Amino acid sequence: MAHVKYVSATRVYAKDAPPAVDALDLDIRDGEFMVLVGPSGSGKTTALRMLAGLEPLDGGRIEIGDKDVTFVPPKDRDIAMVFQNYALYPQKSVADNMGFALKMQHVPRDERDRRVREAARLLDLDDKLLERKPKQLSGGQRQRVAMGRAIVREPKVFLMDEPLSNLDAKLRVQTRSQIAELQRRLGITTVYVTHDQVEAMTMGNRVAVLSGGKLQQCDTPRQLYDNPVNQFVAGFIGSPAMNLQTVPLTGDGAELAGATLPLPAAVRSAAQQAGLRELVLGIRPEHMHLANGAGELAGEVMLVEELGADALLHVRLTQGGASVVARAEGRKPPGPGQRVTFHVQPDDVFAFHPVTGARLAG
Amino acid sequence: MTAVAARAQRAREPRPGRVREMSGKVGWGIVAWVVAIAFFLPVLWMVLTAFKPESAAETWPPKFTFSPTLAEFRLVFSGWGPYVTHSLVATVGSTILVLLLGVPASYALSVHPVGHWRDGLFFFISTKMLPIVAAIGPLYVIALKAHLLDSIWLLIILYTAMNLPLAIWMIRSFMLEVPSELLEAARLDGAGRIREMTGVIMPVISPGLVSTALICVIFAWNELFLALNLTVTNAATMPMFLISSVPQEGLYIAHLSAAATVASVPVILVGWIAQRSLVRGLAMGAIK
Amino acid sequence: MAVVETGAAPPSTVQIRPHEASRGERWQRRLPLLPALIYTVIVTQIPFLVTLWYSFQSYFWNTPAPAHFNGVSNYKTVFTNPEFRSALVRSVLMTVSAVILAMLLGVAFAVLLDRKFLGQGVVRTLIITPFLVMPAAAALIWAGPMLDPNFGLLNYLLQPFGVHHIAWLSTHALGSVIVVMVWQWTPFMTLIVLAGLQSQPPDVLEAAKVDGAGAMATFRELTMPHLRPYIELGVLLGSIYLVNVFDAVRLMTNGGPGTATTNLPFYLYTQVNNAFDIGGAAATGVVTVILTIIVATFALRMFARVFQFEGAAS
Repeated sequence: MAHVKYVSATRVYAKDAPPAVDALDLDIRDGEFMVLVGPSGSGKTTALRMLAGLEPLDGGRIEIGDKDVTFVPPKDRDIAMVFQNYALYPQKSVADNMGFALKMQHVPRDERDRRVREAARLLDLDDKLLERKPKQLSGGQRQRVAMGRAIVREPKVFLMDEPLSNLDAKLRVQTRSQIAELQRRLGITTVYVTHDQVEAMTMGNRVAVLSGGKLQQCDTPRQLYDNPVNQFVAGFIGSPAMNLQTVPLTGDGAELAGATLPLPAAVRSAAQQAGLRELVLGIRPEHMHLANGAGELAGEVMLVEELGADALLHVRLTQGGASVVARAEGRKPPGPGQRVTFHVQPDDVFAFHPVTGARLAG
Repeated sequence: MTAVAARAQRAREPRPGRVREMSGKVGWGIVAWVVAIAFFLPVLWMVLTAFKPESAAETWPPKFTFSPTLAEFRLVFSGWGPYVTHSLVATVGSTILVLLLGVPASYALSVHPVGHWRDGLFFFISTKMLPIVAAIGPLYVIALKAHLLDSIWLLIILYTAMNLPLAIWMIRSFMLEVPSELLEAARLDGAGRIREMTGVIMPVISPGLVSTALICVIFAWNELFLALNLTVTNAATMPMFLISSVPQEGLYIAHLSAAATVASVPVILVGWIAQRSLVRGLAMGAIK
Repeated sequence: MAVVETGAAPPSTVQIRPHEASRGERWQRRLPLLPALIYTVIVTQIPFLVTLWYSFQSYFWNTPAPAHFNGVSNYKTVFTNPEFRSALVRSVLMTVSAVILAMLLGVAFAVLLDRKFLGQGVVRTLIITPFLVMPAAAALIWAGPMLDPNFGLLNYLLQPFGVHHIAWLSTHALGSVIVVMVWQWTPFMTLIVLAGLQSQPPDVLEAAKVDGAGAMATFRELTMPHLRPYIELGVLLGSIYLVNVFDAVRLMTNGGPGTATTNLPFYLYTQVNNAFDIGGAAATGVVTVILTIIVATFALRMFARVFQFEGAAS
């Protein structure tokens, strides 16, 4: 168990291309479950592989515990990794797969068998599966064997590269909580990569959002949701996504679909200092409250997605024609074609710089 | 120095691990080159000796520098006429026949298989396993009685039978690689068996057909045993030409080298140029 | 709205139609196969049947007497003839050593070729070439310019190691022939093993790295098991071709010195060419075929995995 540090870690592939990972600074505490999330190409997998030692660093360093492991080969870093496609050894039995690393460490056979059996029990892997080969297992079983292979090693750090992406939806939800539970029990520092922000939010102690090789924000899920530091994080975290619109500034606030939404003084002065005439407004769907004709934003319902407990309304605002999504009660949502109005609390409105995307004041 | 500039400079310098990486790669490359050249040496020596005058070909120590001459090549080219013609006819003829027979047969053993396709495939392979040498005496007698002795047609017939099993094995494996969705889409579009074959399968497997044809060409061109025993002059092929370049007495090494070079170069060149195709055919066709 | 019932569904009353290809369909499938099948049967089986026929005859070309039936006397001769037995043993020896050596070299070369380095394509081209060289040419070039005691390149290259004008084809005839066989077939083994090496999934190799396996351990524990079917295939196919090698024997040593390099194919050749004994050659041929079938059946059973024919489409 140890803490992990990325210090200005950089990886460049082609000489004149932008870095795949650009000066990443990340402090992961001992025993923490840290999720690296971002769209494809964001550098999250590369960053994980740099920690594993499977990608070299072109700049900066990586520390595990208090040791600088930048030039240490993977096998000496005391880490274990779960690969996206599991990467199980095809010709070895499940037991041999899980015990392989221990065999490389010259751990005696009975100790090896004991630890393998223990890990198998922890993961609900039946004893008779131990002698089977990977190709005789189901996808879910293979995933557990991949996890078992990592657990058996009792490493300092767990690395997981999108381990749930090959499972069907139901199994994914089930396994998600199992992994989180397991990590809590074992207490091993875990770095987990995913492109699914729902996974990130539900599993991580903290979540690092990456885009274009750069770290956007690293915070608890709650903080990321309530206090996104820029437009990218605001739009990436939360499902359905936050409504984002470029709107002009007026005297007291910003003008959206004919209505003036008041902005706090701090935001207004920040905008003024930056010399802005317009900015990007962000409003989460659940903050658009149906107002029975009395709301300041008016529009027509184009499409209703009924989810059972709630409904998502795709609305086209009358003035200006902007499209927004609003969350409504599931029981009797307005139907398509219906005219509706919304009210938004001033506190629920986010403002972002139209060019840099940075959050204005707040 | 600003942080940005420092970062830029670090990106330009090779990182410490990289030097060790590069020298490892270079070392490996050197070993590979040495091994390859050593392995290739006999071929190199053959070609080199072909340019020697006979007096320089049988010396001790062997000569690496000498004044090259085309005399032996001229001799070879003045004599090779009928032989190379026969080789070309036998090779091209048998390869065409192999493809004509083999493509439909492979089709019947892969895409729309017959009932006992496993047995059919096994039958073809088994003919390859039986040594042709076993039947050479009776074969001679049959050829004699059928007036096919010393006939190029005999060679075409026999070479086709020789290469057909291998061709079927290879073409079949290439046909199995055609994605079934493609075939299903064609069927939905109303394609019958023939359209399916010409419109979908042939285009997709054409690289595989090329590599199969290449392998047939190699084996047919290089074949000695049947040519030696069943031909005399009217159908004598390049391997026979090569043997004839070894006289009972007298110096012959340079002449032999020239003949060997000329005899081997066509297939070597074809193999080099179509290397990727050949490798793929050999490895893939063999594996499946 | 349909009512959903729990419990077992009532037995189906729909007639299940037997699913069988119609006669027309079956013949439509057979048709493309027929030309190749008929051709092969005629060209390969007729000679074999004639061989069988002649094996029971006494038929010599150097006498005016016509062929006449002599029962199994040819077969008796085959089994009692020490020359046949020694040719058989020698064939096995030559094939086994050539296959093993070619495969060992093949694995080594494949490992060499599996990395990236400058001029990788050229190196591979050089390594494949021996396979492309006409076997007759290879035999004559090795016999003359390479191995000759007086002007051969090999003797020259081995001088610093204390070798003096060895007449390879006299004193080490069998070895020399095997060397040429290995030289020509190593590329074949190399390519098959290389295909195996390149089909290893890269993430499995990375997992081994993370699990603490060094290069040797990875090769031993993961790569070799993965290569096994490829190696078996190479050995099987190589053996089929190598057991029938004729060119090198005929052109390098003519079976000699004496019968030191006579293998089965060459022995059969001498029976026809030197002894003009068609009957005897036929019997030897039939025995050879039967032996081949026995060995092949064993080999196929041992390497059953290799022959798991992929399931065909519909």
